[in-house]
Amino acid sequence: MISTQQEKIISLENTSIGYKWKSGSQNIVKSEISVHALKGELVALIGENGVGKSTLLKTIAGFQPTVSGEIRILGKSILNYHEKELALLQSFVSTEIIHVTNLSVFDLVALGRYPHTNWFGKLLASDCDLIEECILNVGLKGYENRLVDHLSDGERQKVMIARALAQNTRIIVLDEPTAFLDLSNKYEIVHILHRLASEKGKTILFSTHDLSTAIAESDRIWLMLNDTVCQGAPEDLILNGKFSNIFPNKQLYFDQERGDFRIRKENKRIATVKGNGLAFEWTIKALIRNGYEIITSSDESCIQVLVEYPEWTIIHKSKPAKFNSILTLCRFLNESDE
Amino acid sequence: MNNRALKVLALFSFLLPVFFIIDLIIGSYYISIPEIFGVLFNPSKAESQTVLIISQFRIPKAITAILSGAALSVAGLQMQTVFRNPLAGPYILGVSSGASLGVALLVLGTGGLLGGAIISTVSSWSIVTAACIGSGLILLLILMISSRIKEIMTILILGILISSAISSIVNILQYFSNESTLKSFVVWTMGSLGSVTNAQLTVLFPSVLVGTLVAFLSSKFLDAFLLGENYARSMGMNVRFARLIVFFSTAILAGSITAFCGPIGFIGIAVPHIARMALQSARHSLLVPASILIGALMMLISDIISQLPGSEHILPVNSVTALLGIPIVIWIIIRNNNRNRL
Repeated sequence: MISTQQEKIISLENTSIGYKWKSGSQNIVKSEISVHALKGELVALIGENGVGKSTLLKTIAGFQPTVSGEIRILGKSILNYHEKELALLQSFVSTEIIHVTNLSVFDLVALGRYPHTNWFGKLLASDCDLIEECILNVGLKGYENRLVDHLSDGERQKVMIARALAQNTRIIVLDEPTAFLDLSNKYEIVHILHRLASEKGKTILFSTHDLSTAIAESDRIWLMLNDTVCQGAPEDLILNGKFSNIFPNKQLYFDQERGDFRIRKENKRIATVKGNGLAFEWTIKALIRNGYEIITSSDESCIQVLVEYPEWTIIHKSKPAKFNSILTLCRFLNESDE
Repeated sequence: MNNRALKVLALFSFLLPVFFIIDLIIGSYYISIPEIFGVLFNPSKAESQTVLIISQFRIPKAITAILSGAALSVAGLQMQTVFRNPLAGPYILGVSSGASLGVALLVLGTGGLLGGAIISTVSSWSIVTAACIGSGLILLLILMISSRIKEIMTILILGILISSAISSIVNILQYFSNESTLKSFVVWTMGSLGSVTNAQLTVLFPSVLVGTLVAFLSSKFLDAFLLGENYARSMGMNVRFARLIVFFSTAILAGSITAFCGPIGFIGIAVPHIARMALQSARHSLLVPASILIGALMMLISDIISQLPGSEHILPVNSVTALLGIPIVIWIIIRNNNRNRL
């Protein structure tokens, strides 16, 4: 067996996170976390709401201390970094939508240069070049003079990522960067993150609820479960069945073939489907959604669906019925069932 | 973009002396422009009465207008940025009333202890110090509240409640004071632009200078505060230190003006918005100077209007600033409501 000996950029070993009160009492959100991330990796942090993803990210970003154990950045405990040193190694993008009037895209990205500039924040020519490059990197070239308040949520999130890039750090931590975005923006943002990690050798850690994009793009997943936190390539976690534990005792189960969650249904009705091609596949999906179990042997007593796109035929009991869409087919099945 | 900002700053720098001269002309006693220039540049040849009016009354009043407009606007700008609240300002969140509480405690409290000290025994410096401490404490109180409550309107209502509570405390203090200290306090509460003497200006001017200078020097902090404290910290800013610096400047600016001119409302809220709109920028290295210029100009205009040119009546300047500022505040509320947020 081969194990990599690369330097751990972020590492936690038996670290407990949570809140310590002045009275001495503490509220441990998650204990005994042992995970790490390497150079050039896109790491997705996944877990149910309230499991402590934000707390973990805030602790790694240095906004709050650990309850016990430590977080190491490049092998050195985060507590031993001065806040300015940390800002040169690690940048942060929060889940909050920033509303500032009359702030241009360029000026917002330029704020990323904060730890590099002098007392007055004077931008040198090299700073300006880097800012332009970061704006280009997230695909917003030409947006420099637009006001941030007039951007869409997706564009705004890209600007925030460009700002983190402009900080020019080895690590970027993002708290749910795709939370408010539509599907295409979700994919685009995660794809940009993946590209930045692999091309620029950055270590990028982000939390998300969107499993399919995380599985498609990330190199490593930190999976926060109720009792433990485990890590691995997304495929490792699919194969060892860990994903199924995200939502225990709920109506969701993890489909190991599709790599996504599905709602558990009680299949009371059975059907056989004949046909081929794409229409055949999607007809099966539609029938499963409507509570049918699909069997292969043709039993005379069950419903038989014949797919001859763009026409569907149901052979059941007496006479066959023809349909020209899956929608009308499903409606017929549901009505005849009642 | 930067060009625009520089043009706007140049325009306001040109308008400021123009309105300064106009403010010197306007008053119950008519003084012509040549006379004014005569007094300003060749006072030995001018009529002594005119010199007296200009040097003892109109120039101190115009300078006070410039100082108070600049100070309140910069205080408002800093509060709006640090609290991330477009409706923050020294008057509306009770910082000005905190200053008056400080002065009330000083005048009425020491007066009571000393058995009837009069206002002259309380020096200008101690009044300014008391006012700045009072406004600084209210800023800390608002900071505590706003760390728990994020809703902008709620903070605003709490600010109004704080102001009312402080006025009540001041009223109670007055009730328990003896006649002579009460009289000196009431005289203080009637303070206005015109009541500031040349001697008091020697206290007011350095206070405002220090406050605005500190604000300008903390431009970079303020820029980072725009994104909120977590972002600011992630960019390597020492949030506690930066907040302390900004609060120091805000307390000095709001406190010293309130100490001498009494509470003046709505300049602090309105001017930063005008500055942001005029410059189309959110960078504080530009917004601080712009707020100084626009604030000073707004106060000069308010003072000119309050003279009711052509009549012998004088309006309280606080009413004029309210009438100028409130439409802008209403516009901010409507604009933000249309976007369904603040």
